[in-house]
Amino acid sequence: MSQSFEVDYAKIYATIRTGIPILGDLGITETLVVSWIVMAIITGLCIFLTRDLRVENISKRQAIAEMLVETGNNFVRNNTGGTRFDKLIPFVSALFATSVVSNLISLVGLRSPTADLSTEAAWAVVVFIMITATKIKTNGVLGYLKGFTTPIAVMTPFNILSELATPVSMACRHFGNILSGVVIDGLIYWALGLASAALFGLIPGVVGRFLSNIPILGIGIPAVTGVYFDWFSGCMQAFIFCMLTVMYIANAAEEG
Amino acid sequence: MNMALLSMTANATQTQDLVTLVPWTFIIQIVNLFIQVALIKKFLFKPINEILDKRRKMADKEIKEAREAKEEADSLKVQYEDSLTNAHAEAARIVSDAQKEAQNKADTLLREAEQEATGIKARAMADIEQEKKKAMNEAKDEIGSLAMEIAGKVVEKEIKESDHKKLIDDFITKVGA
Repeated sequence: MSQSFEVDYAKIYATIRTGIPILGDLGITETLVVSWIVMAIITGLCIFLTRDLRVENISKRQAIAEMLVETGNNFVRNNTGGTRFDKLIPFVSALFATSVVSNLISLVGLRSPTADLSTEAAWAVVVFIMITATKIKTNGVLGYLKGFTTPIAVMTPFNILSELATPVSMACRHFGNILSGVVIDGLIYWALGLASAALFGLIPGVVGRFLSNIPILGIGIPAVTGVYFDWFSGCMQAFIFCMLTVMYIANAAEEG
Repeated sequence: MNMALLSMTANATQTQDLVTLVPWTFIIQIVNLFIQVALIKKFLFKPINEILDKRRKMADKEIKEAREAKEEADSLKVQYEDSLTNAHAEAARIVSDAQKEAQNKADTLLREAEQEATGIKARAMADIEQEKKKAMNEAKDEIGSLAMEIAGKVVEKEIKESDHKKLIDDFITKVGA
């Protein structure tokens, strides 16, 4: 058992030399690979749930699929007040599903793609573009630009700052929560490993030396702390991210 | 900074920094998100929404059909009630007609019977009268000849029947009257 603590960094499996100046080399990182696994899981689940659909006498599987769709529909419709944003439903659902599965995939030992700021930044930027597009659609380009000078022209820099703070805060909130979960899980395993080494090291002879190399205390206890740091936090952050997405876009459409 | 904060064991595979923005990962994650949206739309929302829509349409159709069936049943009921009422009236009419006819027939029969009886009685009376007359005449003749015979025997002399015929007849008439 190592005496020093190490955080689970995202590995880079392969690097493809692209030669593009700003973007640099394309690294196939753990984040991307696990992201594709997550996508495969979600898509596989969708295909599995929607197999053999019937109008009457539905199976449990279909009932779950219908419940998920209804939940997505209701989530967006209730938070935007109407059916104006029905086009957003698949986007928000995909965002939520990807986020939840990405957060929870750490439970099977893979590294969450959401523990990489690039992932959340990508999502936040997409949401930011959607918010801005909705604002421009509602108020027109001039109206949108004029919105920055309210209530007085002096406030313009602050308004721009607060506008940019939206995606930054969304990305960092999600990322920080998941990363902290990863770090805390790592710390708990590390600490329990040390504790069990110290505890079983008290047993003299070969047995003590053998047992002290196995982190026995690491069985069970992390599952309890994982309820909060993985399950609760993972679902909560996905929910918050989607909630904010829907709220911001709905607000953008009401302005002016 | 990370290296300073947390000691890292030497590793064969490369790793990226803990907090960092990798442009390629960023771009690929945006693409991934949209691919995921398309996939979830195609494999979950489209089929399920189609099924939900189909079910809604079916429910609407069934409600409509039920309403139509109820209307039809109501109109049929009214129709049946009407025809039932008509049937009752018809039955009553038929019964009363039959009664009237029967009454008429009975009356006619009675009248005819009475007439016939009266006729038979009259004929019988006439016959009786005729028989009576005939018998009377026969008796007159018998009595006449009997009287003649008796008288002849009484006076011991032949009385010519033809001579005294008128006399005897007068006598009988007087007796018979």
